Amino acid sequence: MADPDLPPAKDAPAPATEPAPTDTGAAVPVVAERGATPPPTGVLGILVRHQAIVVPILAVVLAFAIGAILIRAQGFNPTYAYEVLFTHSFATESGLLATMQKTTPLILVGLAVAIPLKVGLFNIGGQGQLMAGGIGAAWASYALRDLPAALIVVVAVVVAVLLGAMWASIAALLKTTRGVHEVISTIMLNSIAVGLIDWLVNGGPLSDKGQPFPTSHAVPEGARLLPFLKLIPWGLPVALLLSVVVAWMLKRTTLGFELQTVGRNKFAAGYAGIGTTKATLVAMALSGGLAGLAGAFELLQIEPYRYQNGIAGSLGFDGITIALLARGNPLGTIPAAVLVGAMRAGAPTLQFQLGIRPEVVDVLLAITLLMVSLPVIAKLIFRRHATKQTQLAGSWGA
Amino acid sequence: MKAKPFLVAVPAALALALAGCGGSTGNNTDTGSGTNASSAPKDCSSEDVFCIGLVTDTGSVDDKSFNQAAWEGVKAMEGDGIQTKYIETKDAKDYASNLKQFTDQKYDAIVTVGFLMTEATRTAAAANTTTKFIGVDQFQESDVANVTGLVFPEANAGYAAGYLAGLLTKTNKIGVVLGQEIPPTQNYAKGYEQGSKAANPKISVAKVYHPAGDNAFSDSPWGAGEAKKMLAQGADIIFGAGGGTGNGALGEVAKSKGAGESLYCIGVDLDQWDTVPEAHPCLVTSAEKKLTDGTTTLLKQAKDGSIKGGNFNGKTGLAAYHDFDSKIPAEVKTKVADVVKGIEDGSVKVA
Repeated sequence: MADPDLPPAKDAPAPATEPAPTDTGAAVPVVAERGATPPPTGVLGILVRHQAIVVPILAVVLAFAIGAILIRAQGFNPTYAYEVLFTHSFATESGLLATMQKTTPLILVGLAVAIPLKVGLFNIGGQGQLMAGGIGAAWASYALRDLPAALIVVVAVVVAVLLGAMWASIAALLKTTRGVHEVISTIMLNSIAVGLIDWLVNGGPLSDKGQPFPTSHAVPEGARLLPFLKLIPWGLPVALLLSVVVAWMLKRTTLGFELQTVGRNKFAAGYAGIGTTKATLVAMALSGGLAGLAGAFELLQIEPYRYQNGIAGSLGFDGITIALLARGNPLGTIPAAVLVGAMRAGAPTLQFQLGIRPEVVDVLLAITLLMVSLPVIAKLIFRRHATKQTQLAGSWGA
Repeated sequence: MKAKPFLVAVPAALALALAGCGGSTGNNTDTGSGTNASSAPKDCSSEDVFCIGLVTDTGSVDDKSFNQAAWEGVKAMEGDGIQTKYIETKDAKDYASNLKQFTDQKYDAIVTVGFLMTEATRTAAAANTTTKFIGVDQFQESDVANVTGLVFPEANAGYAAGYLAGLLTKTNKIGVVLGQEIPPTQNYAKGYEQGSKAANPKISVAKVYHPAGDNAFSDSPWGAGEAKKMLAQGADIIFGAGGGTGNGALGEVAKSKGAGESLYCIGVDLDQWDTVPEAHPCLVTSAEKKLTDGTTTLLKQAKDGSIKGGNFNGKTGLAAYHDFDSKIPAEVKTKVADVVKGIEDGSVKVA
């Protein structure tokens, strides 16, 4: 079965990273329909069992191939362009810092989408939750400006997490009490956050009247989280740690077990005595808290250290990209976020040095995402061994 | 076994695709020239080369708005011994790092576009005291020696537009659809109201600001909806002052029955005849900030060293009437021209 023409299993990373048995179910494809081909062995077997990892990697490679054609069409050398892009993102001091700064919130918002997915909920309110966290941090840090810096940071972060969690909990409560679909309520809460914050910073109670444009007060200088050793943004280790904690929580704790069980079948879960209400509330609150934390780091560790238009960017929605790239796996959000962060960090240099339009990076990401979400690759390579795609939103009760 | 051909085919196809694309690795250096990077990069620290960089607000240099107008002002400088380059900002948190690309290369003058970059520009200026910074639309609260804010008295442009509207209206009702409520839009509205009242004391002006921040200047559907309401209430001239939001209002008037006959619209910031073709049926003129002109003027000053820190007032006025030139009565045109001149020499007071 092992084909000599096959590239050595370099696409399948060390088996240390267990395939997430949760949503792919690829690990034990034993219970097949009658007459189905038996699970393959050898290299193919390895690939099939690790397709949760193989597919995204192939998707990235394919996207870069298509991107190369696009870059070529603009009259540039793709190899050189990619070299410039990634040299800047990883091999220069300022580029590496930018990569890590961009990776931090992406991991967190990725987790904020990934956790509710396990419960069968689709949180597209990461944007509003992140904004709530950001404005909370801005408010707390300014209100406490006379206190010691360390205290300001801690309180600002806590306030941001709580506000984010609260914002998400509104959607969760609407879901559990009135059956309002979370996709609708979270996306509407995004708009409410936008309007509310505009009022707060545009002449409202949180606005810095000394500035000629709408903005919050700046974070006090001492409380700005300058990169640790001038290289590592403080938020990054926190985000990495949290993704490990979330993975552990989902896999090894009772709470995680309950969340996943509800996600698989809420009726069975209910029969087994697991409350769907609790699962929804917990998952959404956790998710909102993580998004709020992302907002806090955006405010505390990145210029201009103020809440003003455009600060939140599209981060909340990028979380969906990250979670899908990671196929809902909390640990997978790390490589996904690093990839997206590095590409975003390198894009301006691509333009500065070569004159390539920075949109090419967005195109690359879009193609990657399309490849991961559509079952094309898996079907093509693994055919009948392909596992079902990550179920996006079981969204029970809909 | 059936899966086999696919297994071989896919990686092979990928390898082919990749190989095909990376085909010519030899000519790395000469691929760098595009629309942006003009010819071989020169050494900006040298005295013989004057390097001008531009960092856009989160928009592209062909956005038919501020970024484009400023970039055209930079391009007007092109010539011997001048190098120009731009970076388009994709994420509002990248202002500082994009500025750094230019300062690292010792650019002589850097243009930044839009008020959101005010602080980033001043910070970069403090760290690079020999570089001249020009902040388009950035009001300077206090002077920094090497930062010049190119600002425009919006009230003056609004006054001229209002004066014209006051003379043209038949219903004595006019409207203005604005972006976010910030000083520039407030000034436009104030000037517009004053100007229209000066021309026609019986006039009533309906004004509305976009209620929310992030898309306040890009919400065309909202602008169109507000324009529709104003038309329904009898307004016959609408001033769209707020980027894409205002453009939505212009488009709505252009689509309405009577556009160009009994209904008119007025554009903002640039000559929108060129930038919003869908508004042609109703667009009599635009309240214009001479942005390209102002950018070039300041860059010339930066080059010969006469530029001063603080604020620099750019010119404002009304754009050409284009297709409506023959439809507007000559006496209206003279009156408006007089007022524009009066604003410039100070005989017409706009508060």
